Amino acid sequence: MQLSTAEETIQRLIFSLSELEHLGQTLISGRSNFNISSKTYLRITLGTLQVTGGAILCYQSTDDFLNITASTPEVDVPPIEIEPDEITSLLECSFVDLDNPPDDLQEFIDRNSESLNCNSIHQLWVPLKIHDEFLGILSLGKFLGRSKLEEWEQELLTILAHQISIAIAYSRNEERIQSEKFRLFMLAESAPQICQLLQPEDAAEQVVHQAVALLDANVGALMFMQPEEQNLELRYVFPPDIMDPDDEENENTRNILVPLNGSENDTSESQSITSVDMLANVVKEGRTHQCSAKADKLFGGRTLMAGPIQGRDGDILGVLVVGDKEERGGSIADFTFEDETLLDSFAKQAGVAIENAHLHQEALEARQLQAEMEEARKIQENLIPETLPEIPGYEVAGYYEPRGPVGGDYFDCIELATGGWGLAIADVSGKGMQAALLMATLRAGLLSELSRVRAENIPIDMKNELIDMAMTLNSLLYVSGTEEKYATFFYCHLNPDTDTITTLNGGHNPPLIVKSSGDIVWLGEEVGGLPLGMFPNDMVPLIAKYEAEQIKLESGDVIIFYTDGVTETVNIDDEFYDEERLEQVAINSAKNDAAYICNYIHQSVIDFQGDADQFDDLTMLVLRKK
Amino acid sequence: MANKFDIQIRAEKQYAILETAGYLNDALGERLSKEAQELIEKGYTQLVINLDKTALINSIGISILIEIIEALEQHDGTLNFCGLSATQERTFRMMAIAKYAGIFPDEKTAIANF
Repeated sequence: MQLSTAEETIQRLIFSLSELEHLGQTLISGRSNFNISSKTYLRITLGTLQVTGGAILCYQSTDDFLNITASTPEVDVPPIEIEPDEITSLLECSFVDLDNPPDDLQEFIDRNSESLNCNSIHQLWVPLKIHDEFLGILSLGKFLGRSKLEEWEQELLTILAHQISIAIAYSRNEERIQSEKFRLFMLAESAPQICQLLQPEDAAEQVVHQAVALLDANVGALMFMQPEEQNLELRYVFPPDIMDPDDEENENTRNILVPLNGSENDTSESQSITSVDMLANVVKEGRTHQCSAKADKLFGGRTLMAGPIQGRDGDILGVLVVGDKEERGGSIADFTFEDETLLDSFAKQAGVAIENAHLHQEALEARQLQAEMEEARKIQENLIPETLPEIPGYEVAGYYEPRGPVGGDYFDCIELATGGWGLAIADVSGKGMQAALLMATLRAGLLSELSRVRAENIPIDMKNELIDMAMTLNSLLYVSGTEEKYATFFYCHLNPDTDTITTLNGGHNPPLIVKSSGDIVWLGEEVGGLPLGMFPNDMVPLIAKYEAEQIKLESGDVIIFYTDGVTETVNIDDEFYDEERLEQVAINSAKNDAAYICNYIHQSVIDFQGDADQFDDLTMLVLRKK
Repeated sequence: MANKFDIQIRAEKQYAILETAGYLNDALGERLSKEAQELIEKGYTQLVINLDKTALINSIGISILIEIIEALEQHDGTLNFCGLSATQERTFRMMAIAKYAGIFPDEKTAIANF
């Protein structure tokens, strides 16, 4: 049965209405992506109006191009460039016949002739708009069996175009809502996530990743303040390849040192400020700033936005940078005021996370240091003799008081197989585990050397023996420590049979002899050598070779070995205890036994110090010939 | 995490797996959408998207995933996700993606649940 024209028209309208109702339901269901539904809208339009081909072109204000979203037949043509005044002209038209366009659109059509040279889809254009917002073009090709549309068909086309406009606007709104929902969720989700990260490097990486995703950016970076240098140091950047070391343009981006004091550019025009200015302004003003892609190539020529990362007390810890905000279709958009607010909110959370990670790291290091100090203290305790041996015809007493967690002083009194005695005092540079280990090395080396002497029976020349021993210990400590690690060392070999002492000074404070006559002698003052471990053996003779000296002791002579903690003790007036005071106190107490002298000097130092702080270990060894 | 993005496609008889790597933004999302559309046009209506190597997704990536779900729905198809991080899974549930697509720990489970 052949249908009449009127019946055909009614059937086309029924088809159209039924399809539109279906699409309307999709639209209000909240899942109405126009990229998907555009083909259906086009199919309904072409079917209802009996047009062989056509297309829907969508416009994005960020890139000034019309892109084909759907077309029948499918074509692959470049985007159509459109200027703002051409959009204004299009908005004034209900229809545009491309064969006979208005004068003010002729140039636009000529300019895009390559893209528009397809009669099957580009013959009649209907601007898609909501109020004055231009959304795109509904383009129709050849009309089936007629050269132009009837008047009622034009009215129907206007209605269909309006429906399509609503669908585009609805879809974009839906995308915007989804995007905002995503951003809010990410903002809420990111805080606990990044705050859980305890390693500063992990926290930095996550902060950048979250900021990039949150702001639809393609670039992100985190820079930390270096307050001493007043600089910002790049800590993490995404993607890493924008810092390709082979790329000359990015050669200097790995360590961006921003001279914060140097920037005077305080313009609010983001077009004219450089990335460095932007970063400096963020630190200076404590608020978000932007700069344009044209500013410089610091981050590979990106549109950048940066916000301050602040700690709990408001100090600026660093700067968070995001760049190249993308939009659907790949175009790059400017960061908006809402983006600035979002970055600011996120940066506040990031500040807490980064500060947490740093505090955790510091606490961890403090705990490790504490544990190390405890171990070092145990090592050192084992090195200091609890009791001193009794030397026939002599009295010996010692005192050791560490000042601080782990000291660096050492003393000992060792009975030798030869029948002699070795008295040693040393002060190792530094504190903590390294000092304790160096001291342990020195003691082990000393005992080993003294054993060697013992094994080879009585040495012929004690002075040379001590010089050889000093060279061996110097070599041992030099290879065991760093340049800054060394020990001052004084060794005294006592032969009780001859009442002779042979001494060697390795850079230590000269011990003091109070003779029974009351005279004072400073040991090792004239024949002192270098501290042990400071220079390699081959350099020692060139600087100051080790020398030994011998002195005969008489009854009542007192030798006071000490470390610089004694003579360099300061009082509240910043005065040193010094050698003169030690000399006087030693003279005053020298008629007493060794233990008394030791305690007397110690009390004198404590009295002198008063309420002043202690800075160094306090160590003494007193030998008195009865 | 580098931003080297990639998509691996493994098409079997009944289903196809799209495995992404890198930041799921517009660039990777558009490629994913194109690959998914081509598979749908070839008749694949059961797709798995494995995001195990994608740690970062922005809002455009999310909207493209929603678009793929809608495209599949028009062909009565099903999309299952796998390899999501805990945050991604929470995001997908909050964004209602989980209402229209399955979320599974691994490819094997995702395939078994078509």
